[in-house]
Amino acid sequence: MSRWSYFGRRLALSVPVIVFGTTLTFLMIYMGPIDPVSAILGQQYTPDAARRIEQNLGLNQPFWGQYIDFMINMFTFDLGRSWVISPGTTAVDMLTIYAPRTIWLGFWAVLIPLFIGIPLGFYAGLNPNTWNDYIASFGGIVWRAMPNFWLAVILVSVLSQSKQLFGWEWASFIVQTNIVTPPTLDFLAQPLDAIRDPHAFWIDNTDGNGSFLAALKQTLPASIVLGSASMGNEMRIGRTAVLETINSNYVETARAKGLKNSVIVWKHVFRNALIPLVPIITGEAFLLLGGSVLVEYVFAINGLGYLFFQAIMQGDLPLVGTLMYIFILLLVAINITQDLLYTLIDPRVGYESE
Amino acid sequence: MSELSPRDTEDEEPLRDRIAANPRPAAIWAGVMGALLVVEAGALVHMFFEGLSIVLGGLPGEPAVALAESAMAAASEIPTLLSRELIPNQGYHNGSQWVGTFMGLSPGVSWAIRASLTTAYGFVFIWWLWRGYRVYRTHYRYADWTPRDDQFDRFSRHSWGKFGLIVVILFVIMAVFAPTLGPTTLEQNITDPYSNTIETWDAENQEVVEITAGEANIGSGSKGGSSNVGPLTYDDFERFHPFGTLPSGKDLFTFMMYGSRLSMFIALSSIVISGFIAAGLALATAYYKGLADLVTVVVSDSVQAIPVLMLAILIAVLFSDHWIAGLYNGGVLLVLLFSVVYWPFLWRAVRGPSFQVSEEDWVDAAKSFGQRPRTIMQKHMLPYIVGYLLIYGSMSLGGIIVSVAGLSYLGIGITPPTPEWGRAINLGQPYVASASWHIALIPGLMITLVVTGLNALGDGIRDAIDPQSEGGTADEAAVGGGA
Repeated sequence: MSRWSYFGRRLALSVPVIVFGTTLTFLMIYMGPIDPVSAILGQQYTPDAARRIEQNLGLNQPFWGQYIDFMINMFTFDLGRSWVISPGTTAVDMLTIYAPRTIWLGFWAVLIPLFIGIPLGFYAGLNPNTWNDYIASFGGIVWRAMPNFWLAVILVSVLSQSKQLFGWEWASFIVQTNIVTPPTLDFLAQPLDAIRDPHAFWIDNTDGNGSFLAALKQTLPASIVLGSASMGNEMRIGRTAVLETINSNYVETARAKGLKNSVIVWKHVFRNALIPLVPIITGEAFLLLGGSVLVEYVFAINGLGYLFFQAIMQGDLPLVGTLMYIFILLLVAINITQDLLYTLIDPRVGYESE
Repeated sequence: MSELSPRDTEDEEPLRDRIAANPRPAAIWAGVMGALLVVEAGALVHMFFEGLSIVLGGLPGEPAVALAESAMAAASEIPTLLSRELIPNQGYHNGSQWVGTFMGLSPGVSWAIRASLTTAYGFVFIWWLWRGYRVYRTHYRYADWTPRDDQFDRFSRHSWGKFGLIVVILFVIMAVFAPTLGPTTLEQNITDPYSNTIETWDAENQEVVEITAGEANIGSGSKGGSSNVGPLTYDDFERFHPFGTLPSGKDLFTFMMYGSRLSMFIALSSIVISGFIAAGLALATAYYKGLADLVTVVVSDSVQAIPVLMLAILIAVLFSDHWIAGLYNGGVLLVLLFSVVYWPFLWRAVRGPSFQVSEEDWVDAAKSFGQRPRTIMQKHMLPYIVGYLLIYGSMSLGGIIVSVAGLSYLGIGITPPTPEWGRAINLGQPYVASASWHIALIPGLMITLVVTGLNALGDGIRDAIDPQSEGGTADEAAVGGGA
């Protein structure tokens, strides 16, 4: 089977997965124990209002009609509207407001652990069974076991009291920012400013559009917390992968040929040790999407996770359905990307055995 | 029933006859075991009926709940070593000496004695279970050696795994002996503080006064600054608090002990249930292959395509008024939820091994021999995949514990005032950087320790079962649980 037909099959298989997941969401939200109409109306329940909402949501139709409508709407990206959080706003508009913050947070939550976890893991793997290795490995294991939300709670408190605790204030460090706050990302709307007005784009935070540095600082603690589990994972896997490759035959051959140690490490060990890290890195997306609810809640970053939590708690069930659908789509897309990346990096893996 | 089990083909005496032939080692072992059980009989019977009343309470109509509860009360009358009645720690200082505590010692020391004796008892009990296996191995087993022996030996050389085992045993002891370990009781501390009284010494009038535990709690809350009862200190009512108090003045240690009960119940039951589902599906799909496998792949992919924590939040909120959420304060709902969510991870983990074993010659042989598929799966395939289930199961436990804590941090899932570790973190959040740092810090450290222990145990089991594995596969990314 060629790479592309494998990829095609993978795509085809993802369709029933999306249908099944979306159906499950539909069943829970529209057929579950909570009636969306009374959830939306809450205290202001009147039969008239209820009928109007039923009409709008199509809940007065028979089960199959509702189900088919819901599925068609989702698959044609007619995603409906919010009913409680911001009545009348379309889900697409909500997404354009909330999603960038989550993406910004997720981007750093993937990137930062990569630059800490992998080097640490490789270092531990190149110096196995030394004290530094033990400290790094044990640190990674404990780091991975810590609950994200707890780490977030502790970090928020420590940062907000940093003046009393360390005599150094985080809030006014380099640029003035709040500690729990959604990052201001308006500066991204004018990417040309990066060259035209670099001070305003990169550093200055006073015009209300935010700046790169301020936005990074606002999300930095949250993204470190969110990425903490994957950092531990990357370290562990990186260490094992280096240990495995360093003892393999081709490295021995290279050594026998008299290659310099640095060449062996950079050309032969690192590149091959990266392969098992690919699923870890893409797998982070799962953790990021799920974990973002708690971390965004603690750090008050108004992203998708926060929106999802608010929507559920306030009974905005139609919006919850849409968000679930988006998350399912995202995860399936990430999964396929992962498989594709895997076959691109290491042609031996994967599709032959499927 | 035409098939022959391997036992029947050899002329092997049943275990009972072998013990009858050489009863001494077994008798000694059983004697000590019996003694260990008898001294704690009251607690065991109590726990049995408590479990029973939870199960009965779940059935519609609640039949026989009253019966189970009266049996529970009767069980409290059975004398029990290591109970709070025998080694009491609640008393008062009447100016010259302690009254009402164990041998007139201070409440802190009395509690420490009871807690350490209980912990020691737990470890001795586990050690006797292990001795039982050793006795069986040396005296009653025919085979001098089985692969299982090597696995045990490998594990006993694995110090990281042993560290995990000790942490997990401690966690289990906390959950099992929660009523004995806490310096105060669940009713007095959490569920019904205003119907329970404590005695305290009024120094002004030189007399004993009786006040409700609720009143005393109001005066001993930890809210940072001057109002704080930290770890290992006494409050104004001469009650000892090993972990300090909550902002409401409730004892954090008692809270943690009962919280571990709930965490363990949810994590263990969900993994057992999803393990059963995963094992059943893995055997069936590996045996029949083709369409059965494809359907399971699609279903499990779909379940995995839904973010765990979001699904948990969604279900916990949607079902919050449903009768299922009333069972065990929402615990049963979470068990069902995590069972549904976790089986695909476990199934993925054993799918490969079960496909491998289905290709083995002995499975073919069994087929041509005319054995029924069910028997083949159970006898010839299942033992091969149980080890993998153990590894991944023990590693997923931590993820579930963290997820449950995360949910109750958000205030959903487990209904207050039922103790859950995540809620303590939520309660302590405003005081992290104050004098009352212990409220949020201790539960978090405990979760970290338990999860580390479970991961270490999983590593140990993996290295014991499969010494060739280098560890660190992609599946471990799922272990964190995303909370």
